[in-house]
Amino acid sequence: MKFFESLKKDFNTMTWVLIPVAIAINVVMGQIVVVLRLPVYLDSIGTMLVAALCGPWAGALTGTLSNIIWGLAIDPNAFPWWPVAFFIGLVTGICANAGLFKNIWKVIITGFLVALTAAIVSTPIAVYLYGGITASGSSFITAYLLQTGRGVIEAVFSTNFLVEPIDKISTALLAFVIIQGLSMRFVARFPRPQNIEIQKGASKTQLWIALVVVLVLILIAAFVLVRILAPGG
Amino acid sequence: MHERLSFYVKRESPLHQLNPLTKLTLIFGLILPAFLVPFYWTPHLLLVLVVFPLAFLGKVQGEYFNAATRLILPAAGFLFVMQALFIPGGEVVLARVWFLTLTQESLLYAFANAVRIFVMISSFTLFMLTTHPSELMSDLTRRGLPGQFAYVIIATLQIIPQMQAKANTIIAAQRSRGLDTESSFSRRIRALVPLVGPLVFGSLVEVEERAIAIEARGFTSRLPKTSLREISDRPLDKGLRWLLLAMMLASLLSRIWFS
Amino acid sequence: MPVVRLQQVTYYYPLTETPALQDINLEIEEGEFIAVIGPNGAGKSTLCYTLAGFIPHFYKGELQGTVEVDGRSTQDSNLSDWVLRVGLVFQNPFNQISGAKYTVFEEVAFGLENRGVPRNEMIQRVEEVLEMTGIADLAARSPYSLSGGQQQRVALASILVMQPKVLVLDEPTSQMDPIGTREVFGVIRKMAQKGMTVVMAEHKMEWIAQFADRVIALWEGKIFLEGKPQQVLTDERLAEKGFGVSRYTTTARLALSRGLWQAERPLPVTLEEAVSGFAAIRNGQSKGKP
Repeated sequence: MKFFESLKKDFNTMTWVLIPVAIAINVVMGQIVVVLRLPVYLDSIGTMLVAALCGPWAGALTGTLSNIIWGLAIDPNAFPWWPVAFFIGLVTGICANAGLFKNIWKVIITGFLVALTAAIVSTPIAVYLYGGITASGSSFITAYLLQTGRGVIEAVFSTNFLVEPIDKISTALLAFVIIQGLSMRFVARFPRPQNIEIQKGASKTQLWIALVVVLVLILIAAFVLVRILAPGG
Repeated sequence: MHERLSFYVKRESPLHQLNPLTKLTLIFGLILPAFLVPFYWTPHLLLVLVVFPLAFLGKVQGEYFNAATRLILPAAGFLFVMQALFIPGGEVVLARVWFLTLTQESLLYAFANAVRIFVMISSFTLFMLTTHPSELMSDLTRRGLPGQFAYVIIATLQIIPQMQAKANTIIAAQRSRGLDTESSFSRRIRALVPLVGPLVFGSLVEVEERAIAIEARGFTSRLPKTSLREISDRPLDKGLRWLLLAMMLASLLSRIWFS
Repeated sequence: MPVVRLQQVTYYYPLTETPALQDINLEIEEGEFIAVIGPNGAGKSTLCYTLAGFIPHFYKGELQGTVEVDGRSTQDSNLSDWVLRVGLVFQNPFNQISGAKYTVFEEVAFGLENRGVPRNEMIQRVEEVLEMTGIADLAARSPYSLSGGQQQRVALASILVMQPKVLVLDEPTSQMDPIGTREVFGVIRKMAQKGMTVVMAEHKMEWIAQFADRVIALWEGKIFLEGKPQQVLTDERLAEKGFGVSRYTTTARLALSRGLWQAERPLPVTLEEAVSGFAAIRNGQSKGKP
């Protein structure tokens, strides 16, 4: 019951009106990046904005709908990847609720965690729906890994893990910069303004904490990779 | 630039007359068998014997085959090439390119997969060509989907083209001030700021006023909503939905049975 | 029995220390047309949002005193019920398009759908209000394809169709070109003639003089002047406090200082009043001549 109440609080009218705008931001950013030929997607900025301002479920909904609409309107190959978008929104929201959207270093951690999630979630989709080779350019890396004799799951996950962090961390940073540019009075209209109050204070120590956390995360990820690698190799 | 993001073509056809939920069920009634039934030629047969005739039944064959050649064929074709080349394994080697080998098995696998994707996208395309978004959302709202979802979907479909138009204007303005999309990486990164700033902040600022506007019209009312649109739901629709549901279940069972 | 009653209303926006409204007392009779004037930041919009229930329901913050319409206070009501008492139309017509609908007809019906009005009644009410606002011929068009004046009339229609007791207009023509302004004021005039209770924040003095029964001048969140339009709009203190003043008033005041305006004649607000005033002087002079 408590869950439903907090859910209801996260979906106020501002949330409902923000979601379509956020989806449009996702779609248009995704296209601008193509025009500018940048090596990132940035097509989940809107999702992260909603997740930070309105919580994980609103973020998850935004991600899912973005993907469906992207699939309907621009690239039909996008359809099957909606669970990835769902988890990008969800994890960003969870991170933001936990206070990880309050300064640059924490946002980098959020971006990294989101990238890890995206890599994990997209692996089974790529493996079971496409046999590992998707219509994305990064499949060249997967193909290479496959040819060197590695297992499909391992090859796909390694590829994702190589590609995702750069994109998701830059997306999270961009979303953070946008939110910092909004007036507090405007942000206060949304359900979770407390998620993004800037934290002042010792930024040096925070930097160190962030670096340590990222290092630990990379170690964990490497460990997971090795575990996956072992039975395949 | 479209004024709105909608593929709907207004025609009188048996497909147009179907209830939106029936058509939504039809999409999955095509996709699930295409992906699940273990018989190799299932997606191919579905495409030729069901999807193509449906386009004619809906009197949208012109629009459908246009979309199929412009959008769906390249998407499925690209996937076919990638998979045929990159999926390892197979015994009957047809060709070797660089570090890649093309085998008969990977070729067949890629072909079936491409057709599956073709069926999937085609069924969505047919759905959108014959169903007005408002009609779909009114019907789903009538069946208990919260009205806010209807708002989100329709508003998104209308905002995206507006925002694309805005983005194009800004890009054109930046180009006239010397932004070159062929220029160096760092210049292109820096070009992102004047592009994204006005676009994102401009649209975010509108959020507050639009929220007020729809609240002023009882958006948050908890009363049961009514609908201006009347949507037909004939016994034929109900029958079709059950039939499609049975087919989906059968294809799922066939998958479990044979594997 | 007044339909609107504000008693000792003071309001602070969230995160602010100075009140946006302070000690506002106001009673509005049924059928009265009230114009609210004031420089930017004087509290015009805040007063509009307070009447329409968005303060405190949407903007939160701290509202003291009571805001009553038809015997009920905003604090005791839901916003979604309050919209049947007070309808709100604001400046930007584009942002008032819901985005949830593809045609003007559906757009106007949106509020009635939300309120669960039966379909037959809905169609009848929408048709009536489209006729009244002069946009019946646009019914099948997309609201996004219209001009500003047309969009604003769609916004007006979308609110009027809910049949609120009081209509609140927050500078409804500030973003219109002259043609749009005339179209929108045309509808407002019709509503006033029908006896609708209207509160309009506006800075176009000539139009106010034509419609308003009473003018309220706000200054730093307080009511600074209140009374008949002619009397308030020509008050000397307006210009020095940064209020917009009709150019006809300014002209006549200058003329008065040079002895070119009859001292006993009230200063004009509209072009018509100015012309008849100057005509009276000329007639007086020509009579005085041998």
